Amino acid sequence: MASELRVNTLKDAAGNNSIATSFVAGGSAKAWINFDGTGTPAARDSLNHASITDNGTGDYTLALTSSMGNVNYACSGNNYGSVTVAANSRQFGSKTKATGSLRTAAGYDSTTVGGLTSYDSAGNDIHFMGDLA
Amino acid sequence: MASLLKVDALTGVTTAGSISVTGEGNSTTTNLQQGLAKVWHHYNQSGTLATVDSFNVSSATDNGTGQTTTVYTNVLANDKYVVSGSHNLPSGNTASWLTGYDNSANFKTGQVTCSTFNAGSGRVDATKAMMSIHGSLA
Repeated sequence: MASELRVNTLKDAAGNNSIATSFVAGGSAKAWINFDGTGTPAARDSLNHASITDNGTGDYTLALTSSMGNVNYACSGNNYGSVTVAANSRQFGSKTKATGSLRTAAGYDSTTVGGLTSYDSAGNDIHFMGDLA
Repeated sequence: MASLLKVDALTGVTTAGSISVTGEGNSTTTNLQQGLAKVWHHYNQSGTLATVDSFNVSSATDNGTGQTTTVYTNVLANDKYVVSGSHNLPSGNTASWLTGYDNSANFKTGQVTCSTFNAGSGRVDATKAMMSIHGSLA
């Protein structure tokens, strides 16, 4: 039978390791996505993720199933694969944040080209932390 | 009324590994287990590799300059989890920096190898390197 528990604080049975339930909710990731950005972008695994839009090379919009409460959420990420460069260095960028979506950029730092070069990354890992609507 | 629950384990009723939590906006719910970080690791790569603090980490291996493998105590369910991180600016480096997952071949259910880079010059050892993982536990 489904049940609902309303409580402000959690402790272990010995009464130690107290944590407020607000920390449980606030400290949990509200969305995370592992997706392949090559060809037609596709999620491998995710939480609270609805769709991916391909806006161009290394440029993706990730839509959420349940929106965030505001645009002040934190997102972090990492991407890898598809390109071999001297430093093997790749970066993740946040281009446009909305409550229901995030436009992201994948690129690598090149020792020869200089600056960041956009590319379609085979692996993209992105986390969302913040408040749900 | 304030309330306090003392318990050592939380398990879903309908599905053991799925508990719904109401979000901050008081309407939308999120999945407790899926939202929890499954691994986090703060380590110092300078000299002998040392773990500063961690969760669900059994060991770490120094694979060379700026290249560290983090091994989990409890493995992930698959290799489709997400990992990200950051690190401080090592002494003597002046450009931007980042932590990146190093090579898809090292993305395993029981471990991942991350690298720390100085932009434009390659891998460097950082004194404060940090990474976290979200995904499903086995």
